[in-house]
Amino acid sequence: MRLGSYLLWAAVATATGILVLLGYFVQLDAIPPEGWLQSIFQLRLLLMRWAVLLAGVALFVGLIHLMAVHWSKVSDQARGWGYSAIFLLAFLATLILGLIFGPDSAAVLLFFNYIQMPVETTLSALLAITLALAGFRLLSRRPDLISAIFIGTAFLVLLGSGPGLIPGGSMLDSFFGGLRNWLAQVSAAGGARGILLGVALGSIMTGLRVLLAMDRPYGDE
Amino acid sequence: MMGLDLLGLAVLGLMIILLMIYLAIGKRQAPIFREIPAFEALKGAIERAVEAGERVHFSLGTGSVIGTDVAPALAGLATLAEIARVTSLSDRPAVVTTGDGAMAILAQDTLRSAYTQAGALDRYRPSAARMLGPTPFSYVASLPSLLSNEDASVHILMGAFGAEGALAADFGERRNCFVMAGTDDVQSQALLYATAAHPLIGEEVFVGGAYLRRDKAHLASLRVQDAMRFILILGILLGAVLGLLGVDL
Repeated sequence: MRLGSYLLWAAVATATGILVLLGYFVQLDAIPPEGWLQSIFQLRLLLMRWAVLLAGVALFVGLIHLMAVHWSKVSDQARGWGYSAIFLLAFLATLILGLIFGPDSAAVLLFFNYIQMPVETTLSALLAITLALAGFRLLSRRPDLISAIFIGTAFLVLLGSGPGLIPGGSMLDSFFGGLRNWLAQVSAAGGARGILLGVALGSIMTGLRVLLAMDRPYGDE
Repeated sequence: MMGLDLLGLAVLGLMIILLMIYLAIGKRQAPIFREIPAFEALKGAIERAVEAGERVHFSLGTGSVIGTDVAPALAGLATLAEIARVTSLSDRPAVVTTGDGAMAILAQDTLRSAYTQAGALDRYRPSAARMLGPTPFSYVASLPSLLSNEDASVHILMGAFGAEGALAADFGERRNCFVMAGTDDVQSQALLYATAAHPLIGEEVFVGGAYLRRDKAHLASLRVQDAMRFILILGILLGAVLGLLGVDL
């Protein structure tokens, strides 16, 4: 019975995947307005709409699950339960205000503008400091030629881009500006294209494995 | 036929045919791949974590299942299956987090399958895989307390990450965790190279299943990637030579 249900899910996933994938190789205007091909194409659109709907439902399920995890931490008085309690209070307050006054109301925007936005902006600022420190740490952690080239290139690009580092209009400014452009547009772009080819091949093969039911992230019993 | 991308279909068909051929050949002739230091180090780090009663944290990134950047997270799920199987019998099994609800459900399914295969289904807890936050920075903001509360000593990032991936890796480094990180975005890979002790570059994020599980399908797909890479290189070289000769393609 279990084997039967697994085969059914694999068949449904494979058939749906092939149908949606083939849609990317066929242009809409090439399909006759009537007939079975048009029906299949409409079925593909319907499946994609279902996917968007299901992703929305999954987000809701994920939030409920997240709330349940934090609720159990509070009730068990597990380590860090105070943060979980704050999370639950903020979650419920936002949810209730959103349900009563609507997502665009001043009450909900208050939470967004004065809590979420500042926190996310702070993290963005922290990112800049983190990267600068990571650059210094890199040389002590992996003291090799590649790390030296990485840091050296980053330094040269900073010299060529950072305002105020070199007097504007000077020969040095023009030299480092040109060097920065060459690094970004020639060497970095060439390397990135090579990496992207590998990433694209890896992505396609990962997709094909799921499509052919060799990988079954939707249950593998 | 007009409106049909025949070249795209031909390339896809070629990849499927090569996959089947390598699956058949793989039974007789095992492939040999280059060593990837991050995966070699990961095996030792997981063993140490299991022995020390510490936890493995696996992040599937902030991408969505229906997004175009789902591939690294799907590859991450294949790696997760093996890590979950290895850690299922430890005192503190692996914990998985993601920024997407649907991906959290897939992670729960992957964990349950791994526990079933390890004969430890009674130890499976759905709360081991969860969504931390729906936006990239809300997800990352939750990581420090999670790593601390769960006593994580191995911090694996395999999924879609933007700039927030650098912070996610750095939070692990600050706790002296073993940090392995890979994603599909080239700019984020550069950030992870600087912040993570064991970065995965390029397509290395997709090879976890082949390197850790030695699974036939994963090994065969890796050989297809290599074959297709050679075909692409030959095509690029041929195009360059023809361009030099003045042939307009």
